[in-house]
Amino acid sequence: MTARAGVEVGGTFTDLVYVKDGVITVAKAPSTPSSPDIGARNALAKGGVDLAGLDELAHGSTVATNAILERKGARVALLVTEGFRDLLLLQRHQRQQIYDLHYEKPVPVVRRRDTVEIIERIGPDGSIACPLDEDAARAAIQELLASREFDAVAICLLNSFANPAHEARLVEILGELAPDMQAAPSYKIAREFREFERASTTTLSAYVQPVVGRYLDRFEASLSEDGFTGAFSVMQSNGGRMPAAAMAENAITALFSGPAAGVVGAVRQAARSGFKNFITLDVGGTSTDVCLAPDGRPALAPMTEIDGLPVKTPVIDMATVGAGGGSLVWADDGGMLRVGPESAGADPGPACYGKGGRAPTITDAHVVRGTMQAAAFLGGEMDLDAAAAAAAFQPLADRFGKTPLEIADAAIQLAESNIARAIQRVSTERGRDPRDYAMVAFGGAGPMHAVRVAEEIGLSAVIIPPFAGVLSALGLLVADYARFAALTDRQPLDAKAADVVRGHMTNLEADIRRHFADHGLAAPSRFQYTLDMRYRGQAFEASVELSADELPGLNQAALEEKFRAAHTQLYAFAKAPGEPAEIVAYRAGGSLPPPAFPESPVTRAEADATAISLYERGGQHTAQMLSRAGLSTDGDAGPLLIDDGLATVYVPPGWTASLDTSGNIVIRKEG
Amino acid sequence: MALDPVEQAIVAQSLIAAAQEMGVKLIRSAHSPIVREAEDCSAALMSADGDVIAQAELIPMQLGSISHTFRHCAERCPPDSLQPGDFYITNDAYKGGQHIQDIFLFCPIFHEGVRIGFAATVVHHIDLGGGAAGLNPNAPDIHSEGIIFPALKLNRERDWAGGPWEAFVRANVRMPDATLGDIDAQFAANAVGAERLTALADKYGREKLADAMTEMLDYSERRVRNALRDAPDGVYTGQDALDDNGVTQDPVPVKATVTIKGDAMEIDFAGTAPQVATNMNTPFASTVAAAVAAAKSVLTDADIPFNDGCSRAITVKAPEGSILNPRYPAPVRARLLASYRAFNAVMKALSTAAPTRVIATGTDTTTACCLSWLGPNGYDIYLEIFGGGYGAGPENDGADGVDSPLSNCGNIPIEATDMDHVFFRCIDYSYIAGSGGKGRMRGGLGFRKVYEILEDNVTFATYGDRFTQQADGLFGGGQGAPGQNQVLRGEEVINLLSKTSFPLQRGDKLIVQVAAGGGYGDAADRPNARSVRDQEDGLVAAE
Repeated sequence: MTARAGVEVGGTFTDLVYVKDGVITVAKAPSTPSSPDIGARNALAKGGVDLAGLDELAHGSTVATNAILERKGARVALLVTEGFRDLLLLQRHQRQQIYDLHYEKPVPVVRRRDTVEIIERIGPDGSIACPLDEDAARAAIQELLASREFDAVAICLLNSFANPAHEARLVEILGELAPDMQAAPSYKIAREFREFERASTTTLSAYVQPVVGRYLDRFEASLSEDGFTGAFSVMQSNGGRMPAAAMAENAITALFSGPAAGVVGAVRQAARSGFKNFITLDVGGTSTDVCLAPDGRPALAPMTEIDGLPVKTPVIDMATVGAGGGSLVWADDGGMLRVGPESAGADPGPACYGKGGRAPTITDAHVVRGTMQAAAFLGGEMDLDAAAAAAAFQPLADRFGKTPLEIADAAIQLAESNIARAIQRVSTERGRDPRDYAMVAFGGAGPMHAVRVAEEIGLSAVIIPPFAGVLSALGLLVADYARFAALTDRQPLDAKAADVVRGHMTNLEADIRRHFADHGLAAPSRFQYTLDMRYRGQAFEASVELSADELPGLNQAALEEKFRAAHTQLYAFAKAPGEPAEIVAYRAGGSLPPPAFPESPVTRAEADATAISLYERGGQHTAQMLSRAGLSTDGDAGPLLIDDGLATVYVPPGWTASLDTSGNIVIRKEG
Repeated sequence: MALDPVEQAIVAQSLIAAAQEMGVKLIRSAHSPIVREAEDCSAALMSADGDVIAQAELIPMQLGSISHTFRHCAERCPPDSLQPGDFYITNDAYKGGQHIQDIFLFCPIFHEGVRIGFAATVVHHIDLGGGAAGLNPNAPDIHSEGIIFPALKLNRERDWAGGPWEAFVRANVRMPDATLGDIDAQFAANAVGAERLTALADKYGREKLADAMTEMLDYSERRVRNALRDAPDGVYTGQDALDDNGVTQDPVPVKATVTIKGDAMEIDFAGTAPQVATNMNTPFASTVAAAVAAAKSVLTDADIPFNDGCSRAITVKAPEGSILNPRYPAPVRARLLASYRAFNAVMKALSTAAPTRVIATGTDTTTACCLSWLGPNGYDIYLEIFGGGYGAGPENDGADGVDSPLSNCGNIPIEATDMDHVFFRCIDYSYIAGSGGKGRMRGGLGFRKVYEILEDNVTFATYGDRFTQQADGLFGGGQGAPGQNQVLRGEEVINLLSKTSFPLQRGDKLIVQVAAGGGYGDAADRPNARSVRDQEDGLVAAE
């Protein structure tokens, strides 16, 4: 039997899921933001993990994300083509806030003074339009390195995706001048066209690399001191893992890995109940993350952004709504009741935490309504001050001529309505109809709101997986090993296109296989292929997915058909067959699933329900409060409050909850 | 029947979300890049009487004009005559519209046979016929700019979808698939609005929904009036000018008198220059949008949902026959240039009333840069839109090198232009160091793009502004540097006007340089850290 552990560092808590001999243990420890590995070690200790006997440790952290948000990354310089020193500053000319007169642009991680122009120019077809002036380059680099100290030099030359020769030569020259200097050429990090996005990705990558590398080295060293000899892997934003050593080469893929792990964990576990399409709902303290997973696969987006700066790396496509448990309830100067986007944060937090918070939050609203039972919060680990929660709503109650209870109920309805609207909007944007989906809820407050939100958008099933409070840590253990590679090569959709696709994909696949082998992994067992395609003249692309089975028999007609279908899915129309189209980018992903996660044995207890009183949607209800294990297989009718340890599930009247054989709570609409 | 404040909040926020979702649907299903990339479109939910209740605020140029346009349709064909499937359509700049390219589509929404509202969308269409493909810079009148739909009432099943009006449109535009596709996108977005509004009527009942809409108008009005009440009463004036009228090089002044009295505001453009012979005239709907955008962004919180309640507190006037309210049949295609000066004049007027909320004058110009070449495979046309530098604020330097406030176009990556065009190559795209107006906070920098011309018989066509009328600083801040267009031909330097067309040869270097924004406050008070950083980064001229 094997022993495996997943440790996920979140903003507030560090979560652990430990599987040994088919037995699953979960634990939570407070996060330690200045040295996240300490919190991780505490969680491992709390879960009783025997490091020497551990075969595998999977890890997720916010180290890369925080390095950028807090601007605590490496000192990076940038080499660019002559004439384009302001590449990182000019950006895309658009403003991210349209109405803000006092608008300030996102700030790149490399300063203008540290950006140096190199005389050279590659053509769009890879031809040399102007040869690299090596002497001038050498002099410019020498002057740069003499001026200030740097940890890394990023390189992003125009059209290097078509021919990386000049970037490669600059890496060599840099190596001669400063053998210890880290070089980060764009063709190795994001070999795709659009120079600003590529330069942004390259510089951000160089910026986080040393920070992530140092962190992982330190953590691994401390683990091995205590006898750990197993495999150490790290989560990526694309929902897959990589060995820690590989991550130290491409740390930019570690951004937003926590939410990605949560989605992977939720979808894998929910799929065991037989549903196909999922909407994940992760309600945290300040925000709610939503992801669509058609056919059980979380959708990927080809790029993301952090602090306003684009990052060209595949990420799980998530949308964030500014409403969570800590969101403040307030009234604006026009007399409208509002929820968020301001939040009480961790300090002082909601009024009911008794840490000095006076402003009412959604969490307080639940305590007032009784949908959060003060005694049962976080498994009874934290005392809640119900009187303080009610007092926090008094000023709003006075203003609107209502009771604190009515306002608390109103605030929750408003928050749920806002979340539902946001899901509709995200679905419309992605060209999906949410009514075909089942909702999977997790995060501290997700299970509390899931059924009402689902009802509002017309869903008839909600799934609450076990371990809803530590799903990100579970996601680490069920995530595939995954590696993506991409390149840009513009190819008209003609008779040769299918051969070109096969050629590029074969090369990308070989790169991925080599990467797996270099890091001591077995060969990937699944490949997926994506083409970025567009009609000639379009400035945006539609992603066309290809399976490994489709590749050998692919021809022009099949490509066109798939492109037209993808275009219709995304943009609601396709042009007539035969309209000139082209392929712009080629992406391949290889993945290798981990050993199967054990079926969590479904423990069933005698009915343990007690009657409680709660207020919801304008009415006082007598509800049954029970544990997950106390649910029956054939269904208990709402109103129910299910105390699930780290989270509470609310089942309103008209819905029925049951515990199925996979350990999931499945809540269905009656009738 | 007054709504419970909670229900009001939920319905109100649902209506706003529905309008935004319409906008998302519109952008997603539109064919034209101008919609998808520049979001030159808008969507709104309106009451049964045609008041805008909630609007997707995509670009400022559509603020406050949708119901104005609606009134002309309603006058011609009363809403009570509408049956399910009917719709209004108009693009008449002289009947409440903007320019010909902007088509307004209004679909009535019925619930159990009763009209409960309208869904409205506006889209900038790529081509609607007229005297030249895409843009006709020499149009003598509006008819040369495209076909006009004069506030029509039509029926989707009868007239569109294979009907006679669809056939008529198809026959009169150059790119019928794109134009018809974009009209279909408007129908699709309106359908989303209808679906969401009828769902709300199902849930809350028609009466409550109507009351909630009325309250939303009152709510926005209340919040705008609260903001106006906080601003000091007074009569404030501001003035700016266009470089020229497109024919002679005389500046074209635009003047605003802003009167704030209690909780109301009037913006009057009396004293503004008469209409001009070129396409730089601004239809009144565009003038209203520009004026309201300036007032709203200066005086009110960003989260006040824009609707016709806001407009109740703000009145806009412009003399008939002026460049901001031209008489039929003056051409109006390049309406943004004068719209920006209206925006600037209002901003300057408000600088006395709200000195810490305004910003100095920015480049505030839409520069169109077009290179075309007839090659062996037909026409190869490159068109890009440039903004410039923002004016500085009390606590921030103006943003460098961004699109101007009333629109939001992205640039075209150099690698994309390299792929798409063989007859030129961009060899420089950079900030102009030292161009921002000096000040305690400096103006946003202008930028240049330099094109190396690789073939003979290339044509450069452009319109821009602020080559002579520089962006003013505020409270002692300096002016932003002017823009300029130059051709380097061997040893020769050829200076070009801001609105011109010019033949280029192989080997020419074309420099298109946009103006910069003005500074705010006295440069002597500039925080040292900012000066040092700008010096180190070479963003100011070496001293």
